[in-house]
Amino acid sequence: MQAMPALQRITRSALLIALVIVVLGFSWRATGIDLPRLLRDLPKGATLVRAFLTPDLFTREVETSVIGVDFPVPCGSAPQGVPPTNGPRLLPSVGCAAPGETFTLMGKEFPASSEILVRWLLPDGRTLNAVRVRTDAQGAFTATLQARPILTTQDGKSARLEAEIQRPVGGLKPSQALRDVAREMFVTIFMALLSTTIATLIAAPLSFLAASNITRRGCLGSGVYYLSRSFFNIIRAYDPLVMATIFAFWLGYGPFAGVLALTVVTIASLGKLFSEVVENIDPGPLEALQACGANRLQTVRYAVVPQIVPDFISFIIYHWDINVRISTIIGYVGGGGIGFYLSQRINGFEYNQAGTALWAIVIVVWLMDFLSAEVRKRVV
Amino acid sequence: MLRVEHLTKIYPNGTVALKDVSFEVPDGEFLVVIGLSGSGKSTLLRCINRLIEPTEGKIYWNDVDITAASPAQLRQIRRQIGMIFQQFNLVRRSKVITNVLAGRLGYVNPWLSLLGIWPAEERRRALAALERVGIADKAYERADALSGGQQQRVGIARALMQEPRLILADEPVASLDPVLAHSILQYLEELNKEGVTVICSLHFLDLVHRYATRVIALKQGVKVFEGKPQEIDRQRFKEIYGEEAQEVRAASL
Ligand SMILES: Nc1ncnc2c1ncn2[C@@H]1O[C@H](COP(=O)(O)OP(=O)(O)O)[C@@H](O)[C@H]1O
Ligand SMILES: [Mg+2]
Repeated sequence: MQAMPALQRITRSALLIALVIVVLGFSWRATGIDLPRLLRDLPKGATLVRAFLTPDLFTREVETSVIGVDFPVPCGSAPQGVPPTNGPRLLPSVGCAAPGETFTLMGKEFPASSEILVRWLLPDGRTLNAVRVRTDAQGAFTATLQARPILTTQDGKSARLEAEIQRPVGGLKPSQALRDVAREMFVTIFMALLSTTIATLIAAPLSFLAASNITRRGCLGSGVYYLSRSFFNIIRAYDPLVMATIFAFWLGYGPFAGVLALTVVTIASLGKLFSEVVENIDPGPLEALQACGANRLQTVRYAVVPQIVPDFISFIIYHWDINVRISTIIGYVGGGGIGFYLSQRINGFEYNQAGTALWAIVIVVWLMDFLSAEVRKRVV
Repeated sequence: MLRVEHLTKIYPNGTVALKDVSFEVPDGEFLVVIGLSGSGKSTLLRCINRLIEPTEGKIYWNDVDITAASPAQLRQIRRQIGMIFQQFNLVRRSKVITNVLAGRLGYVNPWLSLLGIWPAEERRRALAALERVGIADKAYERADALSGGQQQRVGIARALMQEPRLILADEPVASLDPVLAHSILQYLEELNKEGVTVICSLHFLDLVHRYATRVIALKQGVKVFEGKPQEIDRQRFKEIYGEEAQEVRAASL
């Protein structure tokens, strides 16, 4: 008699464990987990990480100058160029060449350790990139070039070897990407601020209707209480992203649909939180003011409001913080702001710019988190 | 003159908190309500200003039927009745002066009060009330920065703002130590001498003997005694509080 329950217990546990394993197995297959791929595609991930670590933040304004030397093909078809004797200069090993001939090009007194693009200026005015070289510490380089048939002199005009020199002038400046990211980040922060503000204005009065200690008196009161409570609960069941999709279907993707979705979700969430704050206030002061002959509104103003304001403020700031994150995601699916910028940069393979956006998101989210915690510490 | 007739309160869960209680309180009396915890003292006091709706019975205040008053009439009646609570019932996060001013809500323009605008005259009245209970210097501190005794004085100042004709005090000193108890009850006594009727529930018999002009006792919602405080001797006490309470209470007799 004693052994039976023990045996049953063990059997039950074993069945339960088996069931859990089966369910987990199904989830594994349903998710399409592919661990080898995780390793195989590591380089792709590494590219992203590298880009993320080198965000596009600053640019230096550069002055571009071009130096060149005439280079007739074939020899004698036009006068040979004469390189200068000092300053940046291109020194081909031969002054001219037959089509197909290779020769060595030396460069001297270029900016040290920098990229130089060497190109041909064709007789017809078009350009043909020849080679990209890197200068040494003295600003010199050598490269092997071929005199292609396309360089052949036309109407007495020879081809010309050219090198572009970029010399930085002035200080560092925020790059285009950084400026764009800053602007889009503000859009996102204000989207979050706007939706949180509107949601607060609607949720605060509604929350009183959904607070049992304020509303639940009589038939009408109970009706209003259950109605507002269900409203909050039903909307809270929808994820912001799902809500954004619904609004996008209606209004098209864009910041407007994004803000509306965020607002509706925040109304429900704040409404629920607010009503719980209202339900948990000390009823003593309410009773005391009622006993003084105060009316319902006066009681709310003098006994309820002072008790709830700090908690309300703390929840509002907390939600603003959350909404900055959510509006980043909503932006990604087309809601505008930094999320949209990020998706465009990633789709355009501009990973350094995407890195700038990712850094901005990390910094802003961290900052909001920190600030909201600080402010909440102060008010409570 | 307050008249309570056949007052019965049955809570929605079926608890009979008061059963056919009748008594009268002539103007200027200091009536003390005694009884074990759970005997219905708080329920009785809250039925008088209808913070709790009586199930049956009538309550007349100067021949006006409180139990039949409309919401607006009820507010008119309530503003003449000050109430003092065991837990002080202050808004802890508000300033002392705001708590005191709130006692005047039944009199002032409701819309201005919602905006937080108070006439200078009312502010002077509030400071005078605080002066009277000896804590005018605390007017601009947060209520929860005050000690228990000081908070109860704020409670009294709030009641003073109502220029009350009647004060209901529900165990006003039960949360305070005995020395403070006297200082609080002396304010009530002073008001009583100025003609304000006081109905006060108390726990300690020495306080009952010291302050009451008349006493009623409740036991499980039934009035089991009404008379002069001197009439409550050991025998009566045993009847009211039951055998088991005797030892505990003997010290305070
Ligand atoms: N809101 C309520 N709902 C149900 N029962 C209550 C409620 N308030 C008080 N009671 C009950 O009514 C009785 C009288 O309570 P109360 O008036 O608080 O007594 P006292 O103040 O003398 O301690 C007690 O049995 C108590 O449990
Ligand atoms: Mg009580």
